[in-house]
Amino acid sequence: MNSRSLDRRAFVTAASAFGGLALISSRAEGAVRVFASELGPVVDSPRVLLLVQLTGGNDGLSTIVPFGDDAYYAARPSLALAKKDVLAFDDYKGLHGSLVGLRKVFDGGKLAIVEGVGYPNPVRSHFKSYEIWHTADVRGRVAGEGWIGKLGDVAWSDGVDPNLVVHVGANVPYSLESKSHPAVAFVNPASYRWAGAKEDLDAYGKMGEDRAKDEKPIGEKDANLDYLRRVVADARASSQKIRAAVAHYTTTIEYPDDALGGALRDVAALANGGLGTRVLSVELSGFDTHTNQRNRHDQLMRQLDRALAALIADLERSDAGKNVVGLVFSEFGRRVKENGSRGTDHGVAAPVFVFGSRVKGGLYGKHPSLDDLDAGDLRHSVDFRSVYATLIERWIGVESAKVLGASYPTIPFLA
Amino acid sequence: MVLRLSIVCLGLAFGAGSSASDPQWNTRAAEHLLNRAGFGARPAEIEGAVALGREAFVDRLLAGFAPDYEPFYVERIDKPDRDELAAMDETARRETLNEIQRHDRRQLAQFAGWWVQQMLDGGHPLRERMTLFWHGYFTSSARDVKSSAAMIGQNELFRTQGLGHFGDLLRAIVRDPAMLAYLDNDQNRKGNPNENFAREVMELFTLGEGHYTEQDIKEAARALTGFVTRRGDADYVKGRHDSGKKTILGETKNFDADGFVALLLEQPACPKWLARKLLVYFEGREPSTARVDDYASFLKSRDYDVKAFLRKLFLDPKFYADDVVAARIAGPIDYLVGSSRRLAVEPPPAVLWLAAGQLGQRLLEPPSVKGWDGGQAWITTSTLMQRGNMAGMLLGVVKLEDVLKPEVLDDEPEAPESDGSMEPAMEPEADAARKKGDRKRPGMKGEFGQMGRMLDDGYSPAINLTVRCARLGVKSDGAIVDALADELLAVPLTSASRATLVEFLGSQRASLGIDDDALLGAREHSEPLLRRLAHLILSLPEAQLS
Repeated sequence: MNSRSLDRRAFVTAASAFGGLALISSRAEGAVRVFASELGPVVDSPRVLLLVQLTGGNDGLSTIVPFGDDAYYAARPSLALAKKDVLAFDDYKGLHGSLVGLRKVFDGGKLAIVEGVGYPNPVRSHFKSYEIWHTADVRGRVAGEGWIGKLGDVAWSDGVDPNLVVHVGANVPYSLESKSHPAVAFVNPASYRWAGAKEDLDAYGKMGEDRAKDEKPIGEKDANLDYLRRVVADARASSQKIRAAVAHYTTTIEYPDDALGGALRDVAALANGGLGTRVLSVELSGFDTHTNQRNRHDQLMRQLDRALAALIADLERSDAGKNVVGLVFSEFGRRVKENGSRGTDHGVAAPVFVFGSRVKGGLYGKHPSLDDLDAGDLRHSVDFRSVYATLIERWIGVESAKVLGASYPTIPFLA
Repeated sequence: MVLRLSIVCLGLAFGAGSSASDPQWNTRAAEHLLNRAGFGARPAEIEGAVALGREAFVDRLLAGFAPDYEPFYVERIDKPDRDELAAMDETARRETLNEIQRHDRRQLAQFAGWWVQQMLDGGHPLRERMTLFWHGYFTSSARDVKSSAAMIGQNELFRTQGLGHFGDLLRAIVRDPAMLAYLDNDQNRKGNPNENFAREVMELFTLGEGHYTEQDIKEAARALTGFVTRRGDADYVKGRHDSGKKTILGETKNFDADGFVALLLEQPACPKWLARKLLVYFEGREPSTARVDDYASFLKSRDYDVKAFLRKLFLDPKFYADDVVAARIAGPIDYLVGSSRRLAVEPPPAVLWLAAGQLGQRLLEPPSVKGWDGGQAWITTSTLMQRGNMAGMLLGVVKLEDVLKPEVLDDEPEAPESDGSMEPAMEPEADAARKKGDRKRPGMKGEFGQMGRMLDDGYSPAINLTVRCARLGVKSDGAIVDALADELLAVPLTSASRATLVEFLGSQRASLGIDDDALLGAREHSEPLLRRLAHLILSLPEAQLS
């Protein structure tokens, strides 16, 4: 048994002894805090990172639209957005016309757009490319934990709270893969609980305890069993707190009535809930637009915009909310030339968004040229690991090379 | 029930003495085989398998215990074509399209229940196991295919050919209507290629990443042109096929789809890819390179005969190694169908479909073309607690509406898709619910119908754990815990879990004023308490392994 599992066990025991709403300090780096419902508001909120994944490969050219380029209309006869459907930045390019809320955030200086983000020798497989984004390593999963997992090892090595990393949704992305800080996850906070009889809960909680000393090892099963035990313990420790945080959260902001809107409302609740959460994650899928892309992508942009605009407005209302920085990314962009079915196939570079009260808004990177293509694909100008490095160094405040395995130039979207 | 009995009888008829000659063929091995090749087993089935002897039992398994089945009857509603729709007024068009969509969803839910029932019945567990394997391998999702008939047709392809030759299956999947729609190959035509299927067929179905180039994908897409879907059926239009020369994987020819498939089957990477996938699926761990190579060359020498592959595997002592048996985290379908079979409860099968969906394995809607990741990815803090809740529901100690309804109502209301053509609008009641602020999945009436019936009928499991324990001759808290754990788990209880459960049972028994060893005699108390105990057992970390 290593010291970490002892920590976790002690933590869980303490948590259940106090019946959930205990005085628990999260010794997260740079922010020692104490909270309790009776003791008034949370003091000194920690810096939180929110990941918004657009699954399927978001079309960069339909997100930041080069309406001033004839080559764009030549390559996209049925998909191109007309100038009137674009929120122009200048004579050449602008935001997709549905991103009205994000445009306001951009104009308010709280949205940074990094253009032309990708990596060398791009892979056009959804799964492999996500592995690369999730591990920040071209080898993918064989390289080990996700980049957030590695970040946790460096930044919060002594943090034992299971709510440190939370995914709101069904499929936990590999970026959160971690031996020491695995993510807790839920779809619906109200049913995030074990529903047995009250008197049986104690016995349920004990199932998460470490293996007894006298227990005979049972070979390979041990790894899975230990994993399952820890998940039981994390579930017990997080379930009540997360349900309480979401149930007690009130806001004047109206979120869109869809899955992403609901998930982002939960994100705001957790960011304001004083749970010690440092990383939050959500997903919007449906971006693999091989056929009839136009309407579908328009709708996705609208959906994304409404939900993010609501979240950003909501986060502005509190100090804890102002300490959230969000990253919106996708595994790749799409081919420049549309395919034979009014859609686009897998491509390469695309823009990412970074938003938040502390973000220095504006355009970063370089809009990829439509004249200088690499076998029909855009060329990237910014390595996505530069975006990560910036978030790691300037937001979380640890050395990025320790997390990423190498140094990447930072981008000045965080002061 | 009849089917289950027949296995036992066969065992008794043929089996006497045969297990003695094979010391490795015991209850542990038989249970393992029935967990992996089927969906869990009752003690009597395990004993029957042991009595029959390994080789005889494996051959019975490959043939199916009761292989005949009545295929699901697929009702087809023809969608009006564009002209007919255009001739309707707005209200009539909406109503027509809504009706089609409702019918389609209802039929899909009914079929999902039918499939789960096949797993529960156990007439040909391996056939249903392979149907599930191929469903996660050659994935298509009802969300994208939008035709219950096509999804059911693909499932039936897996059911009828899933134990046949991989090459036949691959040729069939190339022209399968659901696959054509799912990976857009019905859009792929001469001069206007769509690469989606060409990429995935190499990356996920035959070779694996690193065994082809981007240029191969572009050329393969040309070879795959010509297919269309019409009213849910596949067709081939010669004029849409690009009959020119293509260079794929170093060979230049006028490849068409079948020529391309033949080329894929010849690649050394192909049998390795399939062998590894099957080994990982059935053994639940990464096989050694040598083991993959061994099984790959066997597969190649047998012309990709899947049944021969599985026979070899099920007779391979390594399949029964300690680090394989019950070392795998069971998927939601395995957990739910397996728990139902071990408990001998008979829940409405569509409820298991919904429950599995909530646990991350929604049949007929795999999350992506890669299928389900499996292993530890099944387990999150949320799904692990939910598994316990579902088990509680099977046992009647947790109310259905407490565990299933909230998340079904909240389940993923994806943006109603519109491709610009005339799509059915959302159902009026779903619309109203959205306005009220419920995060409700639009229009899942077929599902709620099934659940509604379960709620109305007041599902209660037809089991009597008190009698079961009494028959096993157990009395003390410790013996009761051991007996139930032995029936319900694939692994022995760890000592820590056992101590927790014995303490639980003892303290609850004492608080009811019942003496040591007297629980089974106190009928009005014993059954609810034993069900709570079984609920805890099925919520254990150990219960997730099989």
